[in-house]
Order: sequence, then structure tokens, then C-alpha cells
Amino acid sequence: MRRVRWIAVALAVCAAPALAAPDLDSLLQHLARPAPATTPFVEVHFSPLLSRPLIVSGELLYSGPDSLARTVDKPYSEHTEIKGDAVSVVRGNGKPRTYSLQGAPELKTLLSSFSALLGGNRQQLESSFTLAVSGDEAHWTLGLTPRDSRVRQRVSQITVNGAAGSPRCMITAAPDGSVTVMLMDEAARTALATPLPATIDRAELEKVCH
Amino acid sequence: MPLNTRLRGSARITALLWLALLAGFGLVIHHSLRISGDLRLFMPAPHDAVGRLLLDEVSQGPASKLLLVSIQGAAPEALAGTSQQLAAALRADPAFGFVSNGEQRLDMVPDALLPYRYLLSPTLDTHRLDADYLREQLQEREQDLASPAATLLTPLLPRDPTLELIKVLEAWEPAHQAQQQFNVWFNSAGNAALLIVQTRGAGFDPADQRLAIDTLRRHFEAVRTSPAMQLTITGPGAFAVTMQSRSEADARVAAVLDSVGMVLLMLLAYRSMRRVLLGALPLATAGVCGLGAVAALFDSVHGITIAFGFTLTGVALDYPIYLFSNEQPGVQPVQVARSVWPTLATAVAAVCIAYLAFLVSGVLGLAQLATFNIVGLAAAGLCTRYLLPQLLPMGVRDYGDSRLSMTLARLSNRLPRLPWLAPVIAVIGVVAVISIRGPWWDNDLGHLTPVPEAMVREYESLQQALGAPDVRYLLALQAATPDALLVREEALSRRLDALTTQHVIGGYDLASHYLPSSAVQRRRQAALPDAATLRASLEHAVAGMAFKPGLFAPFLADVARARTLPPLTVQTLAGTPLALTVGSLLQQREGGWTGLVTFTDVQQPQQLAALASSNGQIQLLDLKQAAEDLVNHQRQRILASMAAAAVLLILVVAATCRSFGRMVRVVTPMGLSTLVTLALLHGFGIALNLFHLIALVLAAGLGLDYGLFLERSSADPAAHRRALHAVTICATAACVVFAVLGSSTLPVLRSIGITVVLGVASNFLLSQLLIRRRDPP
Repeated sequence: MRRVRWIAVALAVCAAPALAAPDLDSLLQHLARPAPATTPFVEVHFSPLLSRPLIVSGELLYSGPDSLARTVDKPYSEHTEIKGDAVSVVRGNGKPRTYSLQGAPELKTLLSSFSALLGGNRQQLESSFTLAVSGDEAHWTLGLTPRDSRVRQRVSQITVNGAAGSPRCMITAAPDGSVTVMLMDEAARTALATPLPATIDRAELEKVCH
Repeated sequence: MPLNTRLRGSARITALLWLALLAGFGLVIHHSLRISGDLRLFMPAPHDAVGRLLLDEVSQGPASKLLLVSIQGAAPEALAGTSQQLAAALRADPAFGFVSNGEQRLDMVPDALLPYRYLLSPTLDTHRLDADYLREQLQEREQDLASPAATLLTPLLPRDPTLELIKVLEAWEPAHQAQQQFNVWFNSAGNAALLIVQTRGAGFDPADQRLAIDTLRRHFEAVRTSPAMQLTITGPGAFAVTMQSRSEADARVAAVLDSVGMVLLMLLAYRSMRRVLLGALPLATAGVCGLGAVAALFDSVHGITIAFGFTLTGVALDYPIYLFSNEQPGVQPVQVARSVWPTLATAVAAVCIAYLAFLVSGVLGLAQLATFNIVGLAAAGLCTRYLLPQLLPMGVRDYGDSRLSMTLARLSNRLPRLPWLAPVIAVIGVVAVISIRGPWWDNDLGHLTPVPEAMVREYESLQQALGAPDVRYLLALQAATPDALLVREEALSRRLDALTTQHVIGGYDLASHYLPSSAVQRRRQAALPDAATLRASLEHAVAGMAFKPGLFAPFLADVARARTLPPLTVQTLAGTPLALTVGSLLQQREGGWTGLVTFTDVQQPQQLAALASSNGQIQLLDLKQAAEDLVNHQRQRILASMAAAAVLLILVVAATCRSFGRMVRVVTPMGLSTLVTLALLHGFGIALNLFHLIALVLAAGLGLDYGLFLERSSADPAAHRRALHAVTICATAACVVFAVLGSSTLPVLRSIGITVVLGVASNFLLSQLLIRRRDPP
């Protein structure tokens, strides 16, 4: 009897992706948009070092697979450009600094998830993450768990929330307890119009995302 | 008949016994022999402090253990990634000391020494840890936490909110370093990631270096991400490995060609397999005895000694040839040996005396070579005198009546009598030597262990790209204690900074750059605020910011610790990654401490010389000049000992000949040949080095053999023909052996080969022309 129950559970686990698959494909199709695409964003950073979150806003520019620019204009200015494995960061009027993404796997994961989402590339997404879709067409949640254990040391999970064909939030959680919530599209525009309270907590932010 | 059979049987047993004895002795030597690849054995012995410093730097200095590595053949991002992974793998491997690829490494300063960052960083020289400074820094950190790279900084922040550790590491980066891409070093074309790797093994031990290079390649194979990626390793160690494998390969080819050539020549000359085999006996005896003597007298034997030693003892083949050629029908071999012995003994003694010159040359490798040859040749001479006659059957042929000897004798008799020849050759030789312009001596130390031009160029381009220090100029300072030295270096830094802004030098590096003197450390310590003040400033600075209250307690604790720490010293650094860097610039020697200042891109060396001469405690080392002085000094010593050996040699010949006239006739062809060889080499624009001198001595030794053999028999036509037979075979054999050497790709082997071939050919011709058969009265 117990054995039968285990088999049922195992079957359910195996079958789950297959059942969610059609949803995932149509979801990814909705999310995909032709490059170049821009979206305003508002990022809320929670960290175990901070008593209240840091909130920054700016614009993201997606200009094709593996190419992304992030410009922060409030409360300070910072410009980050990622092309392939190359990252360059300029803060204020300072000198640009370059890195290789191979030295920062979490950034690479972030970028590849982002460009795969925007490019509608399911194959690329599934090569780096295990995917899980929940919710319904109106309010869906896409969970991405990195497959690579080295990446998991820096990024434990990425969750994308959205409504209909548009993403609202992308939540990146790190094993050290820090969480970054990025509001996109409609959610970002709303947050820019009526600024979020400075002491906003995770629960309140969840509401904004859904 | 029964007698003959018994003799043959006992001869065979004696030969086998002797071979067994040699083999056993060889086995013992093989077990006790320590072969070293240390190329210093062939470098000149230093005669002053600068020379000692130079040789230390060349052989043991950290620079000699550096391998410069480049990775090519993929996109820069991929190369950078592989560079990081390779560096991580090498750092974890005990075969390597310090590994650097341009990445900033937080673990350069171990955890226990972290509070020292405030004493090492120059921040406190210009700023105070007050509320304004802290606030400015904390605002930066907030922005860092809101950036995608936040997780990298999170662990560091509570302890080090001013990122003092990163500032210390940035200050330690070389002034002129390679360009950076993706956090690692790249060449200026941007298509090769560069690393500097220091091996633990000695730089000039090819065995250690080969191991390190193989290990490095294995790590690369494990981390490369594409098969198109290529690894290039260069540096002194890589040179040593390449040179060793090339010499070994060349020596192997030469040995095979020589053996085949000798067997054919001996068969042709004596038409007797027995004599071919017996001729090898003195050679084997010479090799085993020579090697045994070197193994017994020296701690370790250089691979080059062994390779050259066996080549040079090839001369020992002359002795059995001389014995065989003098055989006569119906004469017991023992009797033949007895009759040729005075000449043979003189020949052996003369060559041994020539080698005495190297025994006192002050170069350990040459002393080993000399020991090898003196003992080996003496043993071969004795073997020819006492062993070979026992093994030879009663003579049945007179080689003097062979077709070869008759032809040679006819030719020899047809040679014109030219009494004026010797003075004319001498005059032409001297005029040529004096009048032809061109470099006489090759003073470049590097040519003693020559490295192919392409490898040197590859090394230089990498060295330039990495901003590795200039190899020619160094400043040296002395002081009684490390701290006194650091104080002196700090004063010097101010003047060197001025020279850098004037573009006299591109940059410089010295120990106080990494380890400030205790005075400076105490001054920074005094500038650190006390616990209460710092706490108040921090509270003021952090007001209104998002940081959790109490977050920076580890920072407060570190500053409090830093206020009471005893200053960091060379001793406390031991065992940290920093010790390697400081240790290369600050060394204890001869009761004091020496500090070295290295430079990049020296534009005006005369300005550095002026700086050094204005301060009695600073010395400018021009390593190129020092190396040339060293070679020069070494050559003078070798030339002096060669002159002494020449005098001794003439005395020995004179003693054997018991006549001034005969002595002159023996020595003249040899002396003239040496002059002719010198003039030819000089005329072809070849600058002479140590190995040419070795070869000249060898050729002179061979020439002396020919002179002695021919002169002794000049009164008797039959004996003269036999001597002609012997000398012709000896000279042909020597020419074959050294022509093979002369065709080597290695400059050292080539210079020896060409010199000996020239010398032997000239000796043979001149001895024919000058040592005429005296017509019987």
C-alpha cells in the first residue's frame, strides 16, 4: 500500500513538468519581445546588513541575446553594460571598470535568465535552470532554480511574477539572505509615479508583485 | 698450435673479466652518481660582491623561478575565465609559489594579519578615520550593496567598511602592469591572457623545472574550455628544459652516428673485427674510470659534464690505433706495446697537462670535465699498454706495408721541402689575427647556455607586456637590520618618485612598498582614533543610512586591535603569500641585509648612476656589465692557466725527446695549427667563447699526438709508414666525430665541433709538411 503511494507521488513529480509544459511555452511566448526593448525598473534590495531596503530606479535596455544595459539614475547614477561575458560598470563620473562574467557566476546567471526570458528561448532557460510554473493565466509565477551548484552558492532562486503577457517582478534570492526584487514594466511605472515607502518590507512588496 | 688456442682462450676470459669488472664498476657509479642539471656549474665563479649578487640573482633569485604564461586561441572572455581557473588550480598546488594573473586576491593578507591593513595602507597618511570620511565611504558601500555584485562584498563589509584591504592590494599592484581585461592581465593586442607563476623548484634545475612545466600543462588541460586554446610557457626554467632536451637529443644522434662511423673506419683500416672490439676497450675503460673519478670527487655531476666527457674521451681511441698500426709480423704484441709506450705515455701525459688548465679554471663544470678526462685518458693509456697486448694475437701483418700506408708514404715523400713554410705560416697567422677587425671575445654570459632566438623574443615580448622588471639595472642598499633598510628605502622612494615623474624610469618596486618601516607603521597607528572617538564618529556617519545598528562592531574591534599591534616585520610575514614578494626584494646575506630596487623601462641609466654615486650607501648594479666582467675575468684566468699548461707541456715533450731540435719539431705543427685555427675562426667573424677554448686545447692535444707519433719514427721508413697509417686513422676518426658535433643545432656543440675539425685538419697537414722523414744517414 505504502509502495503504491510512493509510486503515485513519483509519477506525479515526473509528470508535473509535462503537465505545465504547454503553459510554459505560451507564457514564454507572451514574455518574449523583439530586441531592442527597454523597460523602466525599480529595484528593492533587502540585505542582512541593512535595516531597511535600498531602492534604486532606472532603465533596462535589452538589445539582443546576451546583451543588456542597466542604467541607475536615482538616487545616484550608475551604468552597467553586459555584452557576452564582458561587463563594464561606470559610477558617476568615475572610470569604467570591466569584469568577466566568468568571475561572477551570479551575474551571468542573471543575464542569461533575462535574455532567455526576453528572447523566448526555452531551451536556453532549461539548460541553466529547473523551471516551475504555477498560478493561472492572469497571475502566474515562474520559478527558476540554477542547475549549477557553483551558481547556487550565489543565487539560490529567481522568481518571476506576472499578469497576463507582462512580467511584473523578478525576485532574486541569494543564500546569504539578501533578496533583490526588481519591478518591471507596469509595476515599475506605478512605483515611479507613487514612490514605494522607504521602509517597505517583503510582504508589502509581494502585494505589489501580484 | 695448442699454445695459440690456449692464448686465445685465456685472452677471451681476460677480456670478459675486464668487461665484467667495468660493468660492475659502472653499476656502482650509476648508483652513487648524483646527476645535476644546475647550469650554474658552467658559470664563472664570482670574484667580487657584485658578481656574487649577480649569480645569486641569476640562479636562485625569484626572477629565475618565474615562468611567464600566456593563453591564446579563444575570445577574451573565455581566456579570462580559463586564466582564473588555471590560477586557482596552481595556487592550490604545492609545486608553485606565487601565482598572479592580475586578479585582486583578498587572501594575499591572511586573516590573522587583517588588522594590519590600517598600518599598511597609505590612507591614514592623508585622511583621518573621522565622521566625514566614514560617511563618504559608507555612502559608496550602500551603492555597492544595490549593485548586481553585492553578494561579493557582503562578507567583507562589516569588518572593512572603508575597503582598506582592497586599497592595500591595489597599492601593491606593480606600477606598470599589463593591461587588464575582465579582471586579468592581457597582452596589448588583447588576444592573450597572461600569468606569472613562480615555481618552488630551483630555476636552473631543468629536472625541477620540467616537473613544474608538466604539472602546469596538466592543470591547463583540465581547465581549458576549448581545444583551440593554446598555452605558451616561457622563462628561464622553460629555457633550461628546452636546452636540456635539445642537447640530449643532439648527443644521442651524435653518439649513434659516431659509433657507426668509428666501426666502419676501424674495419676499413684493420679489416679485423677483433681489433674493432678491442679498440673499444680503452674507450669503455676511459668512460667508466673518468665517470667514477668525478662521482667520487664531486657532490653531483652535471649532465653536460657526462655528455661532453664521453665525447672528449673519444681521443682515447688514438691509443689502440697507434698500437695496432705498429704491429709487425712475428713480433709479440707485448713487445710492440713496450716499444711504443714512451711515445704513448708522453701523448697521454701531454693531454692530461692540457686539461690541468681547466682543473684550476674556477668553473666547477670545467673542473669536473678535466677530472673526467685526466683520469679517463690515463686509464685508457694504461689499458692500451698493459691489457690490450694480452688480448692481441701474435702480429701477422705489417700495416706499414698496406696499400693505404704505401700510398700515404708516396704522397708524403712527394711533398715539397719548404723550410720557410713554418715562419711564413706564423707571420700570416699573426698578421691575420691582428689585422682582421671583428669581435675577439664573446662576453655574453647567455651564450654559454644559448637559447634559440625565437624563444628569447617570445620571452621578451611577454616580459614587456607583463611590465616585468628591467633585467639589467638594479639598485642595491645595505643595512644591518631589515628595519633600518626599510627606513632607507622610504627615503629613497621620494627621490625615485621624482625620477618617475621626470620619465627617467617608468616605475620601480622595492620592499618598503609592501612592508613599511616600523616608524611609518607607528605613525599610522598613532593616527588611528581611540575606541570611543571612532564609535562616536561612526554613529554620526551612519545616521540616516540603511545599515543595521551595530553592524560595524568587527570594524571597531579591528581598529582597536590595530592600535596596539607590534609593527609587522619580515619575521611575522613568514609563511604568508606576501613573504615571497618581500623576500625577493629584501634578503639576508653575509651578516647584513640587502634591499633590491627593481625598475621598469629605464630611460636614462646615467641618472640612476648619478643617484647612486651621490649616496655612498646605494649601489647601482648593471647586471649586463657585471656578467661581462665575470666572463672576462673567467677568461683571463683560463688563458693564464692555459699558458702555464703550455709551458708544462713543452717541458714534458722536451724531457721525452731529450733534444731541443726534436722538441721543436713536435711542438711546431701544434702551435702553428692553434694559430691557424684561431685566425680562421676570427676571419670568419666568430667571437670566441669558453667552449672554443676547450676545443682549442683538445685539438692541440690531438695534434701533439700526431707530432709525437710521426717524429718518433721519422728515421725508419717502415716505422714511418706505420706511424702514417696510425695518424691518418686517428685524424680521420677525430674529424668524423667532431664533424658530427659541428653539425649540431646547438651553438655550444657546433663551436666545439668546428674548432676541433679545423684544428685536427690543420695539425694533420702541418705535421706532414713539417715533420719530414729524416733520410737515413
